Amino acid sequence: MKLQHNLGGLENLGPINFETEVFVEPWEKRIFGIHTAMMALSNHLNESPPQYEIEKVPTEFNSFWTWGHLRMGAEGMHPFEYFRLRYYEKWLGGISGFFVEEGYITQEELDARTAEILADDGKATAPLPQGGDPAIDTQVEKYLREGDSPQRSTAIEPKFKVGDRVRIKDMPPADHTRLPGHLRDRVGVVDKVYEGVYTYFFKTADGIGVPMPIYSLCFQPDAMWNESLLDPKAIYYNDIFEVYIEAA
Amino acid sequence: MPSLYEGFQYDPERERQSAAKVKALESLLIEKGIITGNTVDNILSYFDTQMGPFNGAKLVARAWVDPEFKELLVNDCNAACNEMDFPAGMSGAEGEHMRVAENTPDVHNVIVCTLCSCYPWPTLGLPPYWYKDPTFRARTAREPRTVLKEFGVELDDSVEVRVWDTSGQIRWWVLPMRPEGTEGMSEAQLASLLTPEAMMGVALPKAA
Repeated sequence: MKLQHNLGGLENLGPINFETEVFVEPWEKRIFGIHTAMMALSNHLNESPPQYEIEKVPTEFNSFWTWGHLRMGAEGMHPFEYFRLRYYEKWLGGISGFFVEEGYITQEELDARTAEILADDGKATAPLPQGGDPAIDTQVEKYLREGDSPQRSTAIEPKFKVGDRVRIKDMPPADHTRLPGHLRDRVGVVDKVYEGVYTYFFKTADGIGVPMPIYSLCFQPDAMWNESLLDPKAIYYNDIFEVYIEAA
Repeated sequence: MPSLYEGFQYDPERERQSAAKVKALESLLIEKGIITGNTVDNILSYFDTQMGPFNGAKLVARAWVDPEFKELLVNDCNAACNEMDFPAGMSGAEGEHMRVAENTPDVHNVIVCTLCSCYPWPTLGLPPYWYKDPTFRARTAREPRTVLKEFGVELDDSVEVRVWDTSGQIRWWVLPMRPEGTEGMSEAQLASLLTPEAMMGVALPKAA
């Protein structure tokens, strides 16, 4: 299991930095915006419940890009590198690498343009290029307002009901997972069965990405951690896909 | 710096490099017709003016003055949003399936995303840095009471702390308790007492 799948309960990390800003450097806003635009223009959106006519949007972007892809990139990093890099630094590396891999830009042109900006303060402060088809921005706004719900209308009876005791499976590690490592082999109680069934952006090796129920599970602290590590009266809840659990 | 670990203190050149790289990337994407010259600014403006913690604050303030609305909010957050005079999009990106955990004299709630940074954009906007800090994510799963104390939230031993970790498609946030000394305040005045941190469970709203 990768460290970034298993953060919950990690010890000896010291104090949290209570930085309340969303962005700590102006450049971070730009990479956030680029990522959000990519999600809004992703070629999978014609299958999303809002029924976007994505193939009619006049963008040159024709790739599949979602939170799942961004997360998979971060989960694929060397774990020490994951900690060394700040949140949006990980995004910048993953997203620029994606545009190169997909052939939209070359590494050489990105490096050359970066070097030009670094060498010339005028270029660093110059306005960005203008123009482009406004229909691209219409789609981006439509995505922001209508979203990309993972809920599907397939009729599937949940295997578990409120009050059932369930064990979290210890699945083989995957490129990308929504199963936090600290829950593996732990036993919890079903607290809620969410209405409907939910898919994920794509199929993962550990089984999500097809419609299935999700549950809120309740874990007593002594079912998760050594007694000496416990905070008193602290209950942990986790929302989890059905494929990750079995009857206890 | 988001991590307080000394080994992660940054060379200032690192920021200049990142700023240049992202500007190079954005300019290439505009030139190649992937996005427009307005795309990123429009997205940032959307979160400054349309979807942000100002929406969550209005929902909480309404819930504080209207018990029926509070029931709706804790039972069906998205339906409660529809009752308000909000811009279209409250069930849009990252708000498709929202849930509210209600603080009471006996229960205090806090949200975390141990795997990444899942967050209810339409009601709370974009997540603050501390929420994305691996240190917060790691520690809150196991020692929430200790973490809350470091944030300045001192809870009586009798209060149960509930941690909501969002690994599976639901976006949780917190309905704090109405503070004392706010009797007679209007909804707008009440809304002004709320911060994102109060609606995430790591701060308690106070009468100004």
